[in-house]
Parts: sequence; structure tokens; C-alpha cells
Amino acid sequence: MELLKVENLCKTYGTGEARVEALKKVSFSMQRGEFAAVVGASGSGKSTLLNCIGGLDNADGGKVLLGGRDLFAMEDTERTVFRRQNIGFIFQSFHLIPELNVEQNIIFPLLLDYKKPDRNRVDEMLDVLGLTGRRRHLPGQLSGGQQQRVAIGRALITHPTLVLADEPTGNLDSQSSRDVMDLLCRASRHYQQTVLMITHNMNLTASADRVFQVADGELKELGGAAQ
Amino acid sequence: MKHYLDLIKISARQHRRQSRMTRLCIVLAVFLVTVIFGMADMEMRAQLMQAKQSDGSWHAAFVIDEEQAALLEVRPEISAVARYGTLNYHLRDGYRIEGTETGVCGFDMEFQEMIPDAKIMEGTFPKNADETAINENIRDRLGIQIGDTVDMTVPQGDTRTYRVTGIAKNTALTAELDAFCIFLNMDGFSALHSEEADAARELLYFVEFRQFCNIRRAIAEISQQFALSPQQVRQNAKVLMLMFQSGDPYMLQLYLVAAVLAVLVVIAGIFMITASMNSNVAQRTEFFGLMRCLGATGKQVARFVRREALRWCKTSIPAGVLAGTVVVWGLCGMLRCLSPGLFEGLPMFGISWLGITAGVFVGFVTVIMAAKSPAKRAAKVSPLTAVSGNAGTVQAMRRAANTRLFKVDTALGIHHALGSRKNFLLVTGSFAFSIVLFLAFSTAIDFMGHAITPLRPSAPDINLYVENGSNQIPFDTVEKIREIPEVKRAFGRCYAEFMLPAEERNILVISYDRQQFQWAEESLLEGSIQDAADGKGLLAVFSEENLYATGDDILISADGKEQEIPIAGIMGSAPYHSLAPNTNSDTDMLICSEELFEELTGERNYAVLDIQLYREATDAQVLEIRQTVEQACETGLVFSDRRIKNQNAKGASYSMSVFLYGFLAVIALIGFFNMINNIAMSVSARTKEYGAMRAIGMSRKQLFRMVAGEAAAYALFGVAFGCAAGLPLNRLLFRSLVTSRWGDAWSVPGRELLVILAVMLSSVCLAVIGPTRQIRRMTIVDTISRE
Repeated sequence: MELLKVENLCKTYGTGEARVEALKKVSFSMQRGEFAAVVGASGSGKSTLLNCIGGLDNADGGKVLLGGRDLFAMEDTERTVFRRQNIGFIFQSFHLIPELNVEQNIIFPLLLDYKKPDRNRVDEMLDVLGLTGRRRHLPGQLSGGQQQRVAIGRALITHPTLVLADEPTGNLDSQSSRDVMDLLCRASRHYQQTVLMITHNMNLTASADRVFQVADGELKELGGAAQ
Repeated sequence: MKHYLDLIKISARQHRRQSRMTRLCIVLAVFLVTVIFGMADMEMRAQLMQAKQSDGSWHAAFVIDEEQAALLEVRPEISAVARYGTLNYHLRDGYRIEGTETGVCGFDMEFQEMIPDAKIMEGTFPKNADETAINENIRDRLGIQIGDTVDMTVPQGDTRTYRVTGIAKNTALTAELDAFCIFLNMDGFSALHSEEADAARELLYFVEFRQFCNIRRAIAEISQQFALSPQQVRQNAKVLMLMFQSGDPYMLQLYLVAAVLAVLVVIAGIFMITASMNSNVAQRTEFFGLMRCLGATGKQVARFVRREALRWCKTSIPAGVLAGTVVVWGLCGMLRCLSPGLFEGLPMFGISWLGITAGVFVGFVTVIMAAKSPAKRAAKVSPLTAVSGNAGTVQAMRRAANTRLFKVDTALGIHHALGSRKNFLLVTGSFAFSIVLFLAFSTAIDFMGHAITPLRPSAPDINLYVENGSNQIPFDTVEKIREIPEVKRAFGRCYAEFMLPAEERNILVISYDRQQFQWAEESLLEGSIQDAADGKGLLAVFSEENLYATGDDILISADGKEQEIPIAGIMGSAPYHSLAPNTNSDTDMLICSEELFEELTGERNYAVLDIQLYREATDAQVLEIRQTVEQACETGLVFSDRRIKNQNAKGASYSMSVFLYGFLAVIALIGFFNMINNIAMSVSARTKEYGAMRAIGMSRKQLFRMVAGEAAAYALFGVAFGCAAGLPLNRLLFRSLVTSRWGDAWSVPGRELLVILAVMLSSVCLAVIGPTRQIRRMTIVDTISRE
């Protein structure tokens, strides 16, 4: 079942001689539960692609359809609410809220919906993330790996259909990187969540169902990791 | 780049926006201090100028003999001594010119420098004993000119003839009393004076001390040297007070209050700068970590922060001083416009060195002191901070936000405010200080209300009344006077005594026209002014003896007829009570309309005529008015020119009002901008965090609520701290300034609180709207990646 459809996505930065075409008519689609990795050199347009798919940035042309709904056709508030309920974000530098503890950071998207979180679901999430003993800790009291696990928990708590991860292991050591990849794979396999991950590390693409490469703003599918 | 400190210049170019708010804070703090001190300086100058004009520039006067005077003159701290004596001060001793009681003043020529009122405006000061200068009243009424002679009879019955050498301006008192006054030199005066045996007609030695002399001590020493009793020593209290030379306990209390207010202003400036610099360094922890990472020592980082702060001073302090000076100029200009006669000596573009010095000092010293703590903090940043991704606020948090009590957006906003104890104290402290300052300075308004009686709108410039109190000023003369273009208003009052047959006593009934009824509105205790103005009843003036009540009917006997008239209302006081001719203070006073008065008495003419003039009215026109009325009356008229007195009252009230309300406006404005700047800085410091929140799904409305929560927390605690400290201070200052002198009890200054709270509230609203609008304009990606 097709979940994400990207059609002729274009994005340009700057004008005149400084004009850079970050995305040139990028089109692809993903099925529910698929795990895809996007690789590419620095400045190739990977992050721009992710930001446009997540509705963080506006595209100059093209469409992003998630579950059949066009992200760019929505008003800002509608898109914001849609994003927090349907898309989970994981950033390279975690972007945790320093004023909230581990548990509060994880349930933050639910709190923004003014919903009371399901206690069992939170406990289960903390258990899966291995953070039960740290639920009252503040981000400043955690290691980089633990912070990224919190960020993953935050991305998954709303059961989003799409998880976007921008270099999620970029700031982590190898053990923490393995843990994070493991968590993302489990999310994709067990909860049928579609994961689109940007990475520099070709080794990490081994877990992905599909691998895309972005070069000079153009997207090319390299095939499945198994291939 | 030759030195690592050259990085400051490059960094400043790159982070111009980031440092703009800190620079703005320094500008605001310097502006506040410059304006307050500059305005205080200018106000002191204005008051001193006015005091010297009205009371003279002398410092002390002693009743001493010639021998003592010789010793006095050689004292090193004395710059000028002048003799002064007066005869017939109360205008009843029998010194008369053409039958009119005349005051006689004798003084040395130097005295004119000490008392501007004694200056000869035309001609010269009399050199010989048989020469005199006369005042304007004699010139205008008797037509005497310079070179003419004037004869004055003395109480002993002799006549003295003087040749007129000069004309002196009328003083407020001589104009009001319409008095004649001649000015003799000390030889001429001594000749008259020696004939007087009355000890009260004493000779005073007026003294001006040198600059920077301790006048209090000098007066005490002189009093001791000549064994003078307190009655033999006079001091120019107002001038001495304005020179900070008064020893009066109340004045010392005033100085203390002024010192407290000055310290408060300085502290407010320090708070503002420290808060902004603290916030600025906190935002750049990562940058300082990076410097440490690259090999900078803690000392080098601290030096970097200090040097950077000094660099801000270079532009911000002159900007603050300039802005402050311009505001002071504006206020001086306003004063000159409001009262050109009194304040023309006040420089329009005057430089207040006190204001500038205070502004520069507070700006420079505070920046250096304020840089110390952030510099230390910056020096302590570990190199790891720069590379761990945990730079900035992440490490500052000690506890999590409370999401149980509030919604997450509001909870985060409150936590942003309360998260860092030091920042919270500095920001709320600076808000609280604005409130404390406002409440502290507002007591000066109460002080002004008591110390300076503002001129009532009903106050006449010219007051004429018939000496015997009869209604003889024809009403059509008043109509004629009203037609003179320089006359703003002319209004008369008729007087009549009526018998109360039931109580066998008299009452005094006065007529008011519509305008006077309108002015009486504010004195109305109960009832209706309109009914009285429409001739439907009388207004009774309250006194403890009379027990009139609205609605009562009183039976009066007029021309043998008895008539019942209702009481339409009770007034607390009658504005013209003191201007009533031949009124007995025990007689009950009632007011009625001119129509009712005519109905009761059949009279339409007035006993009293008040005239208000436009500023451009000349003395010749005043004389013309006087002659018009005098010609129309059969019996003697008393004329009183109150223009000088009114102008003095207006001037004192204007200058105090302009400066005090100016102070309050500046303080309120500073509080306003301070709040806006602090919130903008806080938002700017967290832009990246807000970007992350937006990415996760926080809506713009929620973002707005978060910033509003932060601003509200600062405002709420700021108001609470401000009121907690400001109200007791307000009470203390009120007691020192007002209660100790006039006995008024302190009450919560509700109106002042409302004003400052409204200012704070509006600043919170603006503080929230600006930054959130700015974030809204940026895309989430820009916000997250913002440096």
C-alpha cells in the first residue's frame, strides 16, 4: 500500500550566480512499512529532500502526498497538526527540549495535542528504548546515545505513519549507532512504519529495504540493500 | 588579523543582530540615567532661576550694627554685602505721596544684584540723598517721569521732595496691593530712618557667600561671632535648598529622598545592563567553548568578553547620552514655551554635565562590572561543550518544566522564565525596579500637589472691587471690557446681605455667572450646580456653623418682603471667598445666579470684577481697563494686579509638573522597552529550540502561548517584587515628604499602580507579538539551523 508519494519536487536556493538547484524534479514513492535510506555527498540535497517531505520547508514545485494528502496544499496550522500526528522526526543533533525530562520529551507531541498520554504505552516505549531508569533525567544528564534514543521515542510515540531521520547516528559512537539502527528497523518491521533515513554511512544502508542516492539534486534509486 | 582580540571586530560584524539588543539595553540604561539626572539638574536650574528671580540671589541676611557689619564684610567667604531697610511696609504708617500710602525702601546699589525686583529698569539708581527711584504704579497713576520731582509727606507731617532718577518694575506684591513704592539710596534712607524710633524698622545686611563655601557653617559662625538670636538671622531658604546648602531638617530629609531616588535610578541602569549581558553571553556558550577548544585560556576568553563589552560602550554610551540630552532639551523647550517669561534664561540646548557624567559613569562602570560575571562564566565553559551539541541552555537546566499544572506550551514558557535563577532574578529585578522607581517618584507628585498650589482656572489676573462693598460696577462696563481683544474673560459678582427673620441673623448672598458656576462644580459637595445656575435655588458654602441641607427652604427678608428659596446644593468652599470685599468670616455665604440676585434685590451692577487676560495684554491696556472701570464708578475702587503673582505660581507649577511627569514617563517608557527587549533577547536565544519544537509539531499559536507564558511569568513576578518593594518605599517616602509636613495619611497609590501595571501589561503584549511574528516569518529549517 503506497504511503508516500513525491512528485516532481523542486527546490532552489539563491539567485543569479549563487543560484543552486538543491532538488531537481525528484519523484519516488514508498510503501507502508518500508525502510529506505538516502545517501549522498555533503551538499547534495539530502537534507533539503527530507525537510520538504516533512513539510519543514516549502518546495518551489511538485507535490508530497502522505496517505493521499498533499502537504503543500495545507495551511500552516493544518500542516503542523498533520505533521505532529503523522510524521516523526529524528535529527542528527537530537533537538531535545532541555527543560523537559526524558518522559516529557517523549510524550511532547502528545502534550502538544493536549492529550493525556497512555501510561502503558509510555512505559512500554521507555522499556523498548532502555530508558526506564532515566525517565526523570533531563537531556543534559544523558549521553549522546541516550539522547538520540529519547528523540526516537518522541518520533514514535504518536504512531506516525512516516518516520524521517536525518543522520540519526551522525553524533553517536558505533554501539549507540547500532542501537539506534536496531530501534528504527524494529519500528519499521513491527509497527509497519515507513522510515526514510539520511545517512553518510553506507554500512547503515544494509538494514534498509531500498537505497536512494542524491547527487546534484537528482534522486536515483540504487536498489534494495540485499541487492 | 594580528591578535586574537581582533576576532571581536569580525565577530561583531557577524553577530551584529545578536549584540544589537545588548547594545540597545546599554543605550536604554544610559538614556535613563542621563535623562533623570539631566532633568533633575535642569529642574534645579529652573527652580533656582525662578527662586532667584522671585526671592533674590542672596543667601543670608543679618540684623547687625555698623561695627559688626564692618567685621562681616572682611570675612573671606563673603562675596557681597548690601544694606537694606524698609519703612511703611504695611502701608499704614503715614508716608504718603498724593495721599496714597507709600512704601519706602533704602538699599545699596549692590542690592540690585541680589534682588532682581529691586532693579531699576529705566533711568539710574539714586546717587544722592534727595534722589529716588519710583515704581511703575507711581509712574502710571501720577504720570511722574524721570527728572520730575515727587513730594512725600512723612508721619511727622513734613514733606520731603525727591528728584526721580529711575523707574523700578512692580513686584508681585506691589502689583497685587496696587501699592506705591519709592527706592532711596542708603544716605536718603538713613535720613528718613533716623527719624524713626521704632525698632521694627531695622536695617538688614544682605549677604552673598562665595561659591563652594559651606554656607550653613558660615551662617552658624557669624551668628556665634555676633551673638545673634535666630530672629536676627534670615536665610533665603529656597535658594539655599536648591544649592544643597540648607540645614533645615525637612530639607535634609528631602535631600535624603533625592539621594534614594538617584541610587534607585543607578541600580535600575545596572540591572538592565547586567541582565542583557548575562543573556548575551549565555547565548554564545558554544562559541566560547569553541574558543576554549581551539586553545584559548579561560583568562583570554574573559578578556575577550570584557573587550567586547567595552567596544559596545564606544557607540552605546554616546547614543544613550545623546538621546537623553535631546529629551532634556525637549523638556526645557516645553518649559520655555509654557512660561516664556520665567524660563527664558533656561538654555534651550543646555548641557547637563551632571546628567552626562552620571550616564557615562553608570554605562561604563556597569558594563565593566556586568562583563565580569559573564566573562567568568564564559571562561569556565568546557571545550567539550562546543563539540558535544549540548551547548547553551541544555546544561543550565536543573529541573524539568511542570507540565501537570499547565499545558505544555505555557509550562515551557514559564520554565524558560524561571529556569535560570540568575537570569530570572535579573530580568524580574529590572522590571521590579521600574515599578519601584515609578512608585518612588510618584510620591514627588503628591509632594508637588502640596508644596506648589497650581493656579486655579478661575484665578483672575486683575481684581477690582468697590471699597465699601456696594454694587457699583455697571454691568454694561463689564460688557465693554469683554469686547477688548486682550481680555479673555471678565466676570463680576454682586454682593448683598439679607436677614434671616427666623434666626435673626444675616447671610451674604453672592451672584455668579454661568462661567463661575462651572468652576464651582469641583467644590460641590452635594446637590445641583445646574439648578442654582438656572435660578432655582441657592448654593450654600459649607461651614461648621451652618447646617443647610440640599432641598431645605430658607426664608429671607429682602426689601421688607419675605421670600422662601430652596437650597440647591452645598459647596465645600467658594473659589472667590478671599476676594470678597468687607466680608465677615462668620456670615454664612450663599451663592445664586445673577437673575435670581436681580429678582431679590433689583440690582444688576457688580461689587467685584475679575478679569482674565491673554498673555499679550500690555500694561497700557491694563491701565485702560482700570480707568474705564474707575470712570464708571462713583466711589473708591480697589485695584489689584495679580499677573506677576499668577505667573510665578504658574511657572513653579509648570516646571515641577513638566519634570516630575517627565521623570515618570521616562521610567514607564524604560520599563516598557526593557520588557520588550528582554523578551526579544530570550526568544532570540532560543530560536533554535523553537525551531525544533515547530518541527516536532508545535503550532504558531502554541509558540505564541509559550512566549506569552514566559513574558507573563516575568511580568507577574516583576510586578509582585516591584509592589512588595515599591509600596513600602512609596509609604516611607510619602511619610518623609508629605505626612511629616502636611499630616496627610498614606494610602495605597491605586492610580499610580494602575498606570504602571497598564504600561507593563501593554509592554508584555508587544514583547510577545514582535518576536513571535519574527519567528513566524522564518521557515522551520531556517529557525533550526540559525546560529
